[in-house]
Amino acid sequence: MTGDFKRPPAYSGVWHPDAIEEIQEKAELGRYQIRGQATKRHSLPNFDDLVFTPAGLSRMPLEGYRERCDTQVVIGEGRVSRPLVLERPIMIAGMSFGALSINAKRALGMAATNCGISTCTGEGGMHPEEREHSSKLVMQYLPSRYGMNPYDLQKADMIEIGAGQGAKPGTGGVLLGLKMSEEVARMRDLPPGVDQRSGCRHPDWMGADDLYMKLEQIREVTNYEVPISIKVGAARIANDVRIACKADVDAIVFDGMEGGTAASPAIQLDHAGIPTIAAIAEAVEALHDMGKQNQIKLIVGGGIKNGADAAKAIALGADIVYLGTAPMIALNCHAPIYLEDYERLGTTPYECQHCHTGLCPVGITTQLPKLMARLDVDEAAERVTNYLNAITMEIQLFARSCGKNKVSDLDPNDLRALTHDVAIMTGIPMVGLNGRQPWWQKF
Amino acid sequence: MANVETLALDCSNKATREVNNIIRQAAEDGVPAIEILNTQARHNIGVGILKPIHLIYRGHVGYYTVGLCDGVTAEIHGSSGWGVADNLLNGEVVVEGNAASSAAPALRGGRVIVKGSGGPRTAVGLKSGEVIVGGNAGYMSGFMMQNGRLIICGNAAKGLGDSMYQGQIWLGGEAEEIGSGVEQTDPEKGELEDVMATLERYKVKAPKNLKKLQSDKSLWNFNKHDFAAWKDAL
Repeated sequence: MTGDFKRPPAYSGVWHPDAIEEIQEKAELGRYQIRGQATKRHSLPNFDDLVFTPAGLSRMPLEGYRERCDTQVVIGEGRVSRPLVLERPIMIAGMSFGALSINAKRALGMAATNCGISTCTGEGGMHPEEREHSSKLVMQYLPSRYGMNPYDLQKADMIEIGAGQGAKPGTGGVLLGLKMSEEVARMRDLPPGVDQRSGCRHPDWMGADDLYMKLEQIREVTNYEVPISIKVGAARIANDVRIACKADVDAIVFDGMEGGTAASPAIQLDHAGIPTIAAIAEAVEALHDMGKQNQIKLIVGGGIKNGADAAKAIALGADIVYLGTAPMIALNCHAPIYLEDYERLGTTPYECQHCHTGLCPVGITTQLPKLMARLDVDEAAERVTNYLNAITMEIQLFARSCGKNKVSDLDPNDLRALTHDVAIMTGIPMVGLNGRQPWWQKF
Repeated sequence: MANVETLALDCSNKATREVNNIIRQAAEDGVPAIEILNTQARHNIGVGILKPIHLIYRGHVGYYTVGLCDGVTAEIHGSSGWGVADNLLNGEVVVEGNAASSAAPALRGGRVIVKGSGGPRTAVGLKSGEVIVGGNAGYMSGFMMQNGRLIICGNAAKGLGDSMYQGQIWLGGEAEEIGSGVEQTDPEKGELEDVMATLERYKVKAPKNLKKLQSDKSLWNFNKHDFAAWKDAL
């Protein structure tokens, strides 16, 4: 009997193995830990705490396989002469050439083109191959201004002013030396091999009035043709929306704390910003307060994995979802291949967060030719296309089941909350209350 | 100075877009110069000009004057607002007065001469080309310089050249504080003479002495034994 007994680990709740390992690693490094991908928190409020309430007798569903369900979204319609038409309410988020290999950038561009959606340069300038492979390309305008020039701005289909990201709001980008190849360094006007730390605040504007002037400058350069968005790490949502509205942006992007990164201080990933689901609720309310909900598109990202997450974000009031990590995983990130290289990094598939090292076993977040060659561009583009097709179908599935012939018609009434936290956060009624306040509140 | 080949453009009662379109069309048509009148410190006058032309601003200008331009030369007979010559690729901009914050941010080529003083973050993120300040320069001037040459004839406020990767800073006066990762070094043969000749060419009064500053490369790659520098930089 006693031989079968396994004593449960008696870890301290405070000094558990992760905390001990973290302290010992800092004692070795002499700096904070840096890692890629996203927060390791497991208990954030998220879209799983919401469910759809599809049609029954009181509302008719659309035929799932036959009836049309429109997915198109347009940014800048009636505001600029060349609005950005997205065939699905999805955009691929900014991930730089440098953070990603050029093969990964090409594959993402090809997949986005196949699906009629956009991809984005990220920091570090517009690589000609990315432009060539992406029919709709958003150019990021960031504090570092790496590779920035008016000619590339004019080639873009939308300009995104980057003022923060969900993984590390209020902090600049990091690109460690192994990824600063000759080509990446040339595009950024930096010496090869340096640990690049980007500025986190734009050098030449501060506050709403300045931002308006900055937008005017970019609109002048792009001849008022393309829309301009501003991307912010989700934190001080309501005030950020007010400033973005005053600056007259065409779209505002909120990147929740689940958002991905190629490299970030680990402590920032886990302790800064607010979850995506909370960001949407605050942003929608602020846009309504400003009376701009029909003019300024709301784009949200951060931890969106599947069509359910995306459809729930849209039902809460987002117009478009931003996907970064998910398409990377579709490329092959975490694939259980080249296992010996994961092991060499001290990790395994599914838990790897070593984008920052430049030693990506599957050839996505690396600049080393030997590793880059592991990503077959055509195959990778097909995988991402398949993934994007699948989640588009999932989004439509929920819209049709709720009786909507446009995905954009999904609304908060199509949702119920499973947890009290999310109900309070989003204003979505708890399940079991028939959309009402709890019965005891009547008395 | 204006001459027969110079087009006069009065900004009064014209929208920014109209003013810029007139400048762009003039550059396209090969007009060599435009004299811009009644600037009234307005913003974004002369941005996104990608064909060579000479712009003569008669008065103060606002934000981003000659921003995101290529091959443009300009003389500003007044002071400039934030971000003058923002991201200029090539050309030359002379500000006869002072320049507000972030003069010549992310310059990628050409030369910007501020005959008065420059505000905070002058030449921030300088990537290539040259920025000359006849007077003093504000807080964190030359911050995160990536290359190029910054000449400050007067004094500099705190954080001069902080986190600069490459390039040179020449300082005539004193710096309240040199930024992280910056060292003073001896000029190489001919460098000082070249700086003096450049100042003379633009009729900027040269200081008696000039110190050469550059990156000590201590921030190029993290070093745990150099925490004093990195605690402010990482």
